[in-house]
Parts: sequence; structure tokens; C-alpha cells
Amino acid sequence: MNMPFVALLAGLLLAPAVYAQTDVCRDTDPQAIEWLKKMSQSAHASAYHGVVTFQRGDDLEVMQVSHVADDTGVTESFTRLTGQGAQVLRQQHAPECVHPGQQLLEMGNDLAAGECGIANYYRFELGQGQRIADRESVRLNVMPRDVYRYGYILYLDRETGLLLQATTMDRGNTKLERFAYADITYGPVPKPRENVAVVHEAEHPSQDVQSLPEVDFDWTVAWLPPGFTATQPVSSSDGQRSFTDGLAVFSVFLEPLDVAIAPGEGVVRWGSTTSYTRGMRAGEFPVLITVIGEVPVNTARMVTDAIRRAN
Amino acid sequence: MSEKLRESLSALMDDEANELEVERLLREVAATDDLRQTWVRYHVARDALKGQNLEHREIDLSQRVRDAIAQEKPSLSSAVQRLMRPVASFAVAASVAATVVLGGQQLSQLGNTGPEQADNVIAGMAPVGMVNTLGATPVRASYGSQAVPALRPASHTAYRELARLRLKQFGQAHAEQAALNTPQGLIPFARVPTIKQ
Repeated sequence: MNMPFVALLAGLLLAPAVYAQTDVCRDTDPQAIEWLKKMSQSAHASAYHGVVTFQRGDDLEVMQVSHVADDTGVTESFTRLTGQGAQVLRQQHAPECVHPGQQLLEMGNDLAAGECGIANYYRFELGQGQRIADRESVRLNVMPRDVYRYGYILYLDRETGLLLQATTMDRGNTKLERFAYADITYGPVPKPRENVAVVHEAEHPSQDVQSLPEVDFDWTVAWLPPGFTATQPVSSSDGQRSFTDGLAVFSVFLEPLDVAIAPGEGVVRWGSTTSYTRGMRAGEFPVLITVIGEVPVNTARMVTDAIRRAN
Repeated sequence: MSEKLRESLSALMDDEANELEVERLLREVAATDDLRQTWVRYHVARDALKGQNLEHREIDLSQRVRDAIAQEKPSLSSAVQRLMRPVASFAVAASVAATVVLGGQQLSQLGNTGPEQADNVIAGMAPVGMVNTLGATPVRASYGSQAVPALRPASHTAYRELARLRLKQFGQAHAEQAALNTPQGLIPFARVPTIKQ
């Protein structure tokens, strides 16, 4: 077989893939991608504080959040105003520290270069905004291109790009949950509330060693839904793995069991959160797998199905 | 097996597949070993014996179900009980064993895979196949005019309880990651049932 023929053949075989790629890019509104980037950057750069409502079914929670960025990094607080008296703090998160989820959203220039990135997995569409927390907004419809993730309706602050309201939708366009700012103020941030019953210092990189299972063998997740990537490097025997596509995150937990239990699966769903548990074997080891994340049950099940003992 | 089929299969189990998909899947399940294996793996109501290697497991359950009734029931219950000790009563463990057996009997019909059995396999599949393992509402199905009891996967209740407990236990560790990798700052912590120090 001569070389030009091989080249021609290769060209023919590759053509559909290349076409499909540029097709997805062409289908994507560069302005929408710019807003996505602006949203991600504003979430890390601005100084603001406000009151946020979080709704799941009939359940409504209210919380206060604050965010301030300076030379030492980003300091954030989250205080529950309803239900449990609890506060989460993250202090001086280094400005140069960029996590995979953020990288996936800030791909504006790649689109022009023919890299579709997150647009391979979601279709983005700009729409008419509305007034939220006394701010004018831009609406960004985010529709999944496959069944592995949920869709979103996002409202971004027209001036700053900050995410003011997000509704998570399933395939049937059922609203799973919504969070929205009821009030927001840009500028200097008051001190976080005091006298809160439980204060949790958010860790970075997070490693909540106490409640995590210890595993004495190596394991892998042999399949991931397209577009998902590990949130942080882990050792192959860590009990937790987390993955993100930029908008959704799910975590896989593996607990070794002393004795095999009857194989089975169970699910609870609350808002957009799925908790899927299955008793199974990884190689010869009986294990209990739990997938927790803002993804459909199918995704959790298929990921669980791909858990293997590593050799 | 194609990813598309696995996807449809999973959707079927969640009652999210449409009618055309269901018909196609049932045909495919009957005709494809690989798909049937996955179906059985997904359909967790089947493994009445512990200590089996899932990768090389035969689907012939009838004998094993009898064995399970005769011998395995006590140890099965105690294994589950042991795991569930903090939360589950003996009643839960007992119902686990019972549902395993019921599921196993129905699924045993998948074992008859000879070509002459193909029609039976499809007919026998339907009641199992239509059951929504995660929700409470099975799709109506019947053997001829005879109504088929609604099946539940093994330890439906026990596993659901486990999923709820694990959400409580690991929800915060997941939220830590979500807070670092989604554009909502610390707001993902709102999903944690009880924030711990």
C-alpha cells in the first residue's frame, strides 16, 4: 500500500470526527462561553456578601455568605440562618490556586482555537435576564448533551458576572433545586457572625480523614462519564475520589467490608443530590460503594459498575 | 456491549426508558449474553449466595435459591445485620432475605437461554424488566392473564437506609470538593444534612 493512499484513507477516517468537533464549536455561542468565564472569575475575584435562599421541594433554607479577595487570597464564610446553627469558613485560599472545575469553565479562548471543552457536554444559550436581589441579570441556559448530567438555568449579574441564581433541572425539565440571592452587597464584608454552634473550617485540599474509609488495596474507576475529571490527585488506595465537569461534582466512596453482604443497591435523592449505595466485590474484596453527587442515578450506577480492584 | 445499551438498560431500571426503547431492549436482552449479564448485575435481586465471584457467575439460580432457603438464610441475615447493626432491626434483615429469594426465583428464568426458549425468556423477562428497582411503582405486566406480583430488588429497604446513612456520613466530604470545583463558592455546603466540625 503506498503512502499517499494511506494518508488519504486516514484523512477519510478522521474527517467525520473533526467535522463533529467543529460542528459542536460552531453550534456554541462564543458570548455564552465568555459569560461562563466571567461567572467563574467573578466567583473568585470579587468582594461581596449577601443572603441566599436554597430550595429543594418544599424545603427552604436561608443562609448568609460572604466572600472577600485580597493579596493573601480568598476568605469566605457560609452561615446557616435556618435549621442547624452552623458555619463554614475558608480562610486565605491562595489566589494562584486554581481547581479543575474552575479551569473547565474558563475556556473562552480555546473555543476560537477549535477546542470545545465544556461545550462538548453542554449546550449554552443566552436569554433574557430578570431582576434578582435588586440586580439586573443575564440568563444562561445550560442544557446537557447527554444523559450523564443535569441542566441548569443560571442568572448572572449583568455587571459583575456573579452567579445570582441557579436552578438545576433533570431530563424531564423538573426543577430539582434552586438557590438564589435574596440580597447582595458588593464591597467591604462585615465580620462573620459569631456565637454559632458548629464552625467548620473548610479544608484545602480537602481531606476529611476522620469519616473517610481506609482501604488496604488499590482500586480504580475504569469508566467516567465524558468530560469529568478528577478534582485532585489521590493515592490509588484512598477511600474517596471526586470528579467534576466544571458544573457538577460527584464523589465515589469505597468501604471495605469484613463479610460479603447480599448484593443490592439503594438510592436516596434530595434536590439534585443523589446518594447511591451498592454492595459488591472489587476483585475478591467485598466492598460497599457509595456515589454521592449532583448527577442522575444512571451516572452513579454506571460509575459504580466500573469500579475495579487495581492490579 | 455498547455504552448506549448500558445507558438504556440503566434508564429502563429507573423507569425512564420510553416504550420503543423497552421493546428494543427486551429483544436485545434476550439475544445478547453480555447484555443479559449486565442486566443481572444491575438487577441486584439475584445473588442469593454469598462468596460468589460476580464476574464468572452462572445465572442458573433455581438451585441456588433452594440452597439459600435451606442453608444460607441465617448467615445472610447475620451478615446484613452486622453491617446494619446501628440502624436496622431484625425485621429489616429478615425482609432482606425474603426479597432476595423472591427476586432470585423470577430472575432464574433468565437462565433458560436455549434458542427454543427465546420466546419464554422474553415473556419471562417482562415482569422483572418492568419493575422499577428504585421507585415504588412498578409498570404493570403479566404472564398472560395472570397478574405478577411486584418484585423488589434484594434488601431494597435496607440498602435505601444505607444510602441515606452514607449521605449523612460522607455528604460533607463531597461538599468540600463541590465547593472547590463549582462556581457557587461555599453554597454546596447547604446540601449537607448536618454540618460537622
